[in-house]
Amino acid sequence: MSKAAYINLSPSGTPFSRFVNLLWALVVRDLTGKYRRSALGLWWAFIQPLVLMLVFSMLRGFVNIPSDGLPYILFTYAALVPWTFFANSLSSCGPSIIDNAEVIKKIALPREVFPLAGIASALFDLGMSSMVLAGMMVWYKVAVGWSLVWLPVLVALAAAVAFSIGMLLAGLGTFRKDFIFAVPFLVQTWLFVTPVIYPISSVPDRWYSLYLLNPMVGVIEGFRTVLLKATAPPMEPLLASVAVTTVLLAVSWPAFRRLSAYFADVL
Amino acid sequence: MGHDTVIRVEGLWKRYGLPVPAVVRSAAAFLRGNRESRDGDGQWALQDLNLEVRRGETVGIIGRNGAGKSTLLKVLAGVSAPTRGRVEVLGRVFPMIELNAGLHKELTGRENIRLLGAIMGFSRREIESKIPEIQDFCELGDWFDEPVRTYSSGMLARLGFGVAVNVESDIILIDETFAVGDLKFQNKSLARVKEMRESGATVLLVSHSLDTLQFVAARGILLERGRAVAGGSSRETINAYETLVFRSEQERLQHKVRNRISSQEVKIHHARIYGDGGETLTEITAGDSFGVEVDLSIGRELERPLFSLGIVNAAGILCMWNISEEDGFSRPETGSRCKVRAWYESNHLATGAYEVHFAVRDASSFETLERIAGAASFAVIGAPRSRGVLAEPCRWDVVTIGPEA
Repeated sequence: MSKAAYINLSPSGTPFSRFVNLLWALVVRDLTGKYRRSALGLWWAFIQPLVLMLVFSMLRGFVNIPSDGLPYILFTYAALVPWTFFANSLSSCGPSIIDNAEVIKKIALPREVFPLAGIASALFDLGMSSMVLAGMMVWYKVAVGWSLVWLPVLVALAAAVAFSIGMLLAGLGTFRKDFIFAVPFLVQTWLFVTPVIYPISSVPDRWYSLYLLNPMVGVIEGFRTVLLKATAPPMEPLLASVAVTTVLLAVSWPAFRRLSAYFADVL
Repeated sequence: MGHDTVIRVEGLWKRYGLPVPAVVRSAAAFLRGNRESRDGDGQWALQDLNLEVRRGETVGIIGRNGAGKSTLLKVLAGVSAPTRGRVEVLGRVFPMIELNAGLHKELTGRENIRLLGAIMGFSRREIESKIPEIQDFCELGDWFDEPVRTYSSGMLARLGFGVAVNVESDIILIDETFAVGDLKFQNKSLARVKEMRESGATVLLVSHSLDTLQFVAARGILLERGRAVAGGSSRETINAYETLVFRSEQERLQHKVRNRISSQEVKIHHARIYGDGGETLTEITAGDSFGVEVDLSIGRELERPLFSLGIVNAAGILCMWNISEEDGFSRPETGSRCKVRAWYESNHLATGAYEVHFAVRDASSFETLERIAGAASFAVIGAPRSRGVLAEPCRWDVVTIGPEA
């Protein structure tokens, strides 16, 4: 069996600028499409983390959850903002290939652009909810410092985790829908194994090393430390997160690339 | 690649679905309780296809439904991966396909054009410079800045097509898109394709409209069950395609007695088409003489037997209707087994598939003794493509009367 090959020698191609241009167009489409016909429009970006925060604050009234000596509302919200970004990213990555089936079936595109566009749209919502968070930090008079430069790194890391998992689910979900049905369930479960509503200090020691395998631990803990304690993120969870994410990407990206050649066949 | 070749396909095989290694497949089958595995075991959509297209050529891809035409375009567009073989494409490929489904309902026509442009790989500057032209082409007027969810289906199609035909590309793949819009819009679209071709673009075209293919494409490729079975000029290819279609129609009609009124006195055993040497034919070359022979038993004495013979084309139109007595044949028949023969010395039938209707009557009582629709079938094939019921060349002339008034 001879090796199959498709080679396009396009002299006028500038693949990177094309990719960015396409990504931008898809994000504009997603955001315009999402908010144009809703009465609350962009406010939805604030409402989601705000409601979650209120629910968890209520929860704290029933059970005693430690918050490392910080106001609990701030403690959870600082974690909910990056978590919501991650959850939204993952949720929009999952069905991104099936949702864009009509385009994928007809035009050759780098297919990564669709999960990436989902993440980029979630980034916009992240910007919105960050404003609420900033307001709260001013209200509680939280001192901030140079540690804020870590934020882009942490956001990128969260995006990378969402991209690696979301891409894999989107790719596999094209062949078997089960992988897409699993996304909301996965996001829900993941929330409870991530220190969002409880501090990492509550995790029992014997589970700790296993716990660090969750790449979102380093991201969420990092966010909270950088924002509320004005110091660099704890290195151990962060490095663990980077290592796990690298492995995830190394597995899921080539897998996605390989699967993507057959998307048009099965969509 | 030769310096002029823009598409080279070598030994292309294509089967749909993910190529799952045999081990994985049998494992999956085992897990599912040995139920039949459907993945990767599909039919070959393309088999051992070889193709070379030079810059500026216009190639029509012809074939029946499911022959692999769209699959070939998909592989050339890079949308679907080849299973085996090598595909080399030089230049920017542009699949001109209606992209209505890629449109977003909440965006306006203008916003959707920016989106489609980006999907098709154009820079924002390129798109912005094209927008006035596209806006003009689509003929949407004020609707252009309204959300497309308010559009009619025709408006949607025009929008998607408007983008497609107003962009520049080296290789253009067209799949059955000329059915969009009214006649005026279709002509405008064809004119655009012609312009693109004249500017040096290479065009590959799939269409079921043979007339479009004949006039737009110079070269043709005939696909049948995933294989390239004929090629050459578009006329030759269209001809080969029609032969294929007529043959299969003839096979469908063969021995398909649809309607029979029978008395026990006359019985038709068999009917066949024969040629000059008496040999049985299923295909007649256009213009050749042929005969119809009916083998029958006549069970009683017929003073004036009346045989009638009808030739009906695939569309059900009665093309010829001959009655023995009117053609000057009249002979009393006693009970016997005989072969009735009718010879058509000149044959003006257009290419196509035909079936034979035959009836036996008694002219003295005008009783129908046997009537059979679909007694035999045959195909008329041959070089000149005919569009009517009859094929007959005519002598053309233009007589100049004087200068234009």
